[in-house]
Amino acid sequence: MRRHLALALPVVLLTATAVWQPSAQPAAPGAAVGAPAPPAQFLTAAPRPESLKFAVVGDAGDGDRPQYEIGQQMAAARATFPFELVIALGDNMYGRQEPQDFITKFQKPYQPLLESGVRFYGALGNHDKQENRFYPGFNMGGERFYTFVRQNVRFVVLDTNLLDPKQLAWTEDVLRDSQELWKIAYFHHPLYSNGGRHGSDVELRVVLEPLLVRFGVSVVFTSHDHIYERLKPQKGITYFVEGSGGRLRKGDLEPSAMTAAGFDQDRTFMLVEIAGNQMMFRAISRTGITVDSGVISRRPTT
Amino acid sequence: MVAEPRRWQSGALFRFTIDHFLLLPIGGLMAIVWANTRPESYFTVAHDLAFVVNEIGMALFFALITQEVVEEVMPGGALHTWRRWAMPVVAATGGLVGSALVYLAYIGWRYELVLSPGWPVAGAVDLAFAYFIVKAIFRRHAAIPFLLLLAITADALGMLAIASRHAFVEIRPGGAAFMAAALGLAFVLRRWNVRTFWPYLLACGPLSWWALYLDGLHPAFALVPIVPFLPHAPRNLELFTDAPHGRHDSRRHFEHVWKYPIQGVLFLFGFVNAGVTLSGYDTGTWALLAAALIGKPLGILAAIGLALALGLHLPARLHWRDLAVLAFATSGGFTFGLFFATAVFPIGPVLAQLKMGAVATGIGVPIAFGAARLLHVGRFSRHAPHHHDNAREYHDQHVHHVHRAGAET
Repeated sequence: MRRHLALALPVVLLTATAVWQPSAQPAAPGAAVGAPAPPAQFLTAAPRPESLKFAVVGDAGDGDRPQYEIGQQMAAARATFPFELVIALGDNMYGRQEPQDFITKFQKPYQPLLESGVRFYGALGNHDKQENRFYPGFNMGGERFYTFVRQNVRFVVLDTNLLDPKQLAWTEDVLRDSQELWKIAYFHHPLYSNGGRHGSDVELRVVLEPLLVRFGVSVVFTSHDHIYERLKPQKGITYFVEGSGGRLRKGDLEPSAMTAAGFDQDRTFMLVEIAGNQMMFRAISRTGITVDSGVISRRPTT
Repeated sequence: MVAEPRRWQSGALFRFTIDHFLLLPIGGLMAIVWANTRPESYFTVAHDLAFVVNEIGMALFFALITQEVVEEVMPGGALHTWRRWAMPVVAATGGLVGSALVYLAYIGWRYELVLSPGWPVAGAVDLAFAYFIVKAIFRRHAAIPFLLLLAITADALGMLAIASRHAFVEIRPGGAAFMAAALGLAFVLRRWNVRTFWPYLLACGPLSWWALYLDGLHPAFALVPIVPFLPHAPRNLELFTDAPHGRHDSRRHFEHVWKYPIQGVLFLFGFVNAGVTLSGYDTGTWALLAAALIGKPLGILAAIGLALALGLHLPARLHWRDLAVLAFATSGGFTFGLFFATAVFPIGPVLAQLKMGAVATGIGVPIAFGAARLLHVGRFSRHAPHHHDNAREYHDQHVHHVHRAGAET
């Protein structure tokens, strides 16, 4: 009986995900906050084959049950939304980080995704060992900061633990020379956040934001605060805090005038689709509920 | 007639501020208030000033500290023979080891190993803070020179540790040639018996600064290798006191000319570096506090105990209760903690955590006073009047006074 229930639960959740209408309206009474956003078109319609699809997860690697449940949700979502990569926003590993921990805190939770060829691209968080950049599963090529391109999207991955002059100069060079239509940056520490525990890192913002604005970055993904939050565009850039992929600080979101939407009642991950000049996004909870969704238009890249 | 007392008051206030090195904490306080009310404008201004203050202005401060150390190791100085400095050096080493162990254990427990290069920050001792705490508690006592030797050694060890693992700047060739030129020129100036400090400062200083910059070492130490070439006179440890007037050699001249500018630099240093947002505390902050308030005092006391067991001696009338207070007096890292933190870590939340920790070690001040009161040490002693002039006894037993006239090298 218990086994039947265990099998039935993912089916029910999958069905619920499939029939859920994407909306920025609160998903559960008092749970999600924020202003309505334009509805995303994916998951309810057939995803466009030419688009780039990826998932976003942050602060995930503690190896506890919620991380596994998020992993199951991501795998379930991929059945209808075949994303090819996952960007991991840091704190991809918590606690002990010996070889066996990479199995219990990364390989097993995301086993179905990894087996189907999905590649994770990690950023370093404050709990990640710097040596984790050499771990093949994070595809960092041994670098603390790196860049990669998928279709017409340039991803720039930074190590905000140690934002040294060399990294800043590299970031400026990469963003300036990038010819892609979309420029997306992701790193661990949020430049804007209404998380009660950490909040915005203003010193990082003073250093990084001018580069992001000047060179046409459209979207920035961060984590560190264990909540989900979407900020209203700041100087034209949309910032996300997606820091509840495994850890959660329940009730930690302190919405401000900058908050577009947020959710701090359960773990979340994001699905993102980029097609042409539009980026559709959707934040999904551990139980498969859409807690935020919308469409973002890209900024001019030069 | 009415304006005269006011002028006197403002003059006295200014002198008090300068004499007690209060411009640094005032700058730090201003920074903290600004950073927590208008953080974006504060960090913009602080970043614009950081290079000039941290990498150029602080060279003068380290020149002053180096000058003190050089004079103390000269014949007649308080550090001239190893017997005088052995115990403070052992204590400083113990403090550094103790603080490093606690720091590394804490961040290991929290699994935030990205903080691990910050262990020298935990061992930093703010010379001015420590001096004024001990002076206020002990008045004149052997504890004062002992503490200053300990603090200088601890910071020198910290500087060496940082210099040896300065990982965030690329090392480029060419630095050694500039350093050789700087040292060669300083040697020639000394051979020509040039007594004014200006050629040393303006010609050798920039060469040395550029050499360190090219080599990826912190250029604030640029004057450290130059200062030993200045003509010196031996002195006993009376750091942060006025140098005697009337001797217009380069050392005294340097000290007199730069006394106020260095205080201005320290004000700016506090302003540029101490501005931390109060929400920025994290593992590094707690690790630093635990290391400074627990690891460092325990390390100092354990090292002294070990040294005593091996046959070294303490200065007269310096007892375990005094040492316990003295050990807590070293817990404040402020200036050197901030400097070491900015030297080890680049901009980011890791640096912010440690800067907050360095500022928070100021809590060592009331702890040191509390310990003194609890242990009835110094001014809190039941027989305080009898302790009035122990420094004289220390000097009689451990320091041979050398008449400055004729002792210059």
